[in-house]
Amino acid sequence: MKKNSKMVLALASVILVISLIAWGYQIRNGLAVTNMRNPFSWGLYIATFAFFVGIAAGGLIVSSSVYLFNIEKLKPFTKIASLSAFASTLGAGAMILPDMGRVERVFNVFLHPNWRSPLVWDVIVISTYLVLTFLSVYVQLLPDWKRDGRGFLNGWTKSREQEQVDALAKKWSRRISIVGLPVAILIHTVTALIFATQASRSWWNTAVLPPDFVSVAVASGTALVLVISLVAVGKERFDEFQEAFRTLALIVAGALVVHFFLVSVDLLVHWWWGKPEGLEVLSLVFGKYGPVYATEILLPGFTMFYFFSKRGSSSFNSLLGGSVLLFVGVFAHRLMLMFPSFNAIPLSLSLPGLGIENWAYPIATGQLKEGMSVFASSWSYAPSLVEYAVALLPFGLILFVVSYALTLYNFVPQKGGLSSRNLNVPSLNTNDIGTLKL
Amino acid sequence: MRLGMVIDLDRCIGCRSCAVACKAHNAQPPGTWWNRVFTPGSEEHQVAVGSNGHLQMNFLPVSCQMCDNAPCEKVCPAGATYTDERGVVLVDYERCIGCRYCIAACPYGVRQFNWEDPHQAKERVGYQEGYEYGYPADYRDPDGRLVYTPNRPLGVVEKCTFCVQYTSKGELPACVQACPAKARIFGDLDDPDSEVSRLVQERQAFRLKEELGTSPKVFYLPPTKSSR
Repeated sequence: MKKNSKMVLALASVILVISLIAWGYQIRNGLAVTNMRNPFSWGLYIATFAFFVGIAAGGLIVSSSVYLFNIEKLKPFTKIASLSAFASTLGAGAMILPDMGRVERVFNVFLHPNWRSPLVWDVIVISTYLVLTFLSVYVQLLPDWKRDGRGFLNGWTKSREQEQVDALAKKWSRRISIVGLPVAILIHTVTALIFATQASRSWWNTAVLPPDFVSVAVASGTALVLVISLVAVGKERFDEFQEAFRTLALIVAGALVVHFFLVSVDLLVHWWWGKPEGLEVLSLVFGKYGPVYATEILLPGFTMFYFFSKRGSSSFNSLLGGSVLLFVGVFAHRLMLMFPSFNAIPLSLSLPGLGIENWAYPIATGQLKEGMSVFASSWSYAPSLVEYAVALLPFGLILFVVSYALTLYNFVPQKGGLSSRNLNVPSLNTNDIGTLKL
Repeated sequence: MRLGMVIDLDRCIGCRSCAVACKAHNAQPPGTWWNRVFTPGSEEHQVAVGSNGHLQMNFLPVSCQMCDNAPCEKVCPAGATYTDERGVVLVDYERCIGCRYCIAACPYGVRQFNWEDPHQAKERVGYQEGYEYGYPADYRDPDGRLVYTPNRPLGVVEKCTFCVQYTSKGELPACVQACPAKARIFGDLDDPDSEVSRLVQERQAFRLKEELGTSPKVFYLPPTKSSR
């Protein structure tokens, strides 16, 4: 375990360094190093951001359901859930920064906030969620820290008895999850509202988007908790927590049912009236971007049925495999937020009498380049190499935070719920910590 | 005062002089066009559309529509895009954080991002060395906000300002001055006696994407010479 975790940390550091170098290159040369241009102005970065906002939900949804709905089976995993939520929120927040043309001016959002902008609401709810998930991890670790005489920012517990700290941790983790649940739902609602408020883009402009974001978040967020718990517990102790894993798998599958329901209603409404704009979007979804859309539908669809089945939800490998398929599908889903939307140019005209419907008024791309038209009626966006490298940032960050936290403290449910000491001590090694500083 | 523009599509000859004057006066970097003119329905500009001898060729100039209910202004998280006291939607080049939310929000595709540094872009495409074009001085609004500068900073959004550097002095925007067909009329929509107000009332003026409720201050007079 110790060797493994060291290797994971090294890998995370390498990923981080690669993405930071790519970001530096982008800052020097401008966003021209991406394949985004005026007609297609948001791409991989925003899709990745939305993906991580989604999986950030899981944490507090899992711990909240323990306290609010008394799903005691999940109790062993509240710590891990909070940690994954905190790390994902951090990753989502970090992903937004490289998308900014002038990242050094981001403070303007705080100096001159425009309260009508859904982006400002998102900054507020995501920051709140980041603080809440951090506090959630913090209070849950307090009893262990007290017992082992370590931790940080916990000097104030020194004068208290172990029992007092235990009770305090219990009380506050309950309180945080109760406040956290509405905030978890809000981060998806508000992130969806960034898109759903825009009447210029019919693919986004639907009230079904916020509830759909919440359903995808519950599915993918819970799947991340599932994956981290599986890895942390290991194959050997799988049977011990089988019930909890099965419950998590059922939450994933149930959320996917809601997601597919909302998706089908949305598609039906787009198709039924037959407005040229609506049909254009559908032809992009099922035509040009058919393969990406198939990924988005088929993989999570498979996971849904698999997790409902006894076979799919009762073995280590099937749970891990199903979750990974789901992640790929959800990532495709986030990309599909961008592709059809930016390829359906909002300023389209119909010329009655000439049989011309939905003629797209060309947009200046913003760059004059050999062999490339300055004006475009559509933009076949695929991320550039630099974009892929920069988009590794949240992956590196999350891997780093999660694996570092796992090596430092005890997040793994203890055997029979008793002392953590035996599991915990081997990972506490000053050498470990020394090599981690980048 | 609500500055607005009327574009008479009957008069427009599709020459793109307005687009060129706009680009030159406002120092737009290569690949950036605040003002475009196309032939609706046609793949190529100045190519007629239609069949069986019933051909049609009209031209539609599009620049910032100066919406009263401007989605770009509403989405801007830092208030970099704002409407000034004359109803002109402007971008503060010193405040824009480059998030490009406004580009996604604008229904008219008029917002342009500085993907590369304008200086370097001009050099890269091989414009003559030392050749600088456009109004040479910065222009700041009465509050000191930078809304025109010949070379915009890398990574900010820009768009038509109704030539704020000229119209603030009572002059006409470059596109209005440059139009050889006198197809563009500029003025105060709040003044019922202004030419723009009269045209909007008397002719069947329409606005683009009226159904979105953005309430543009750019009006179009429909072309009557539809077939040639």
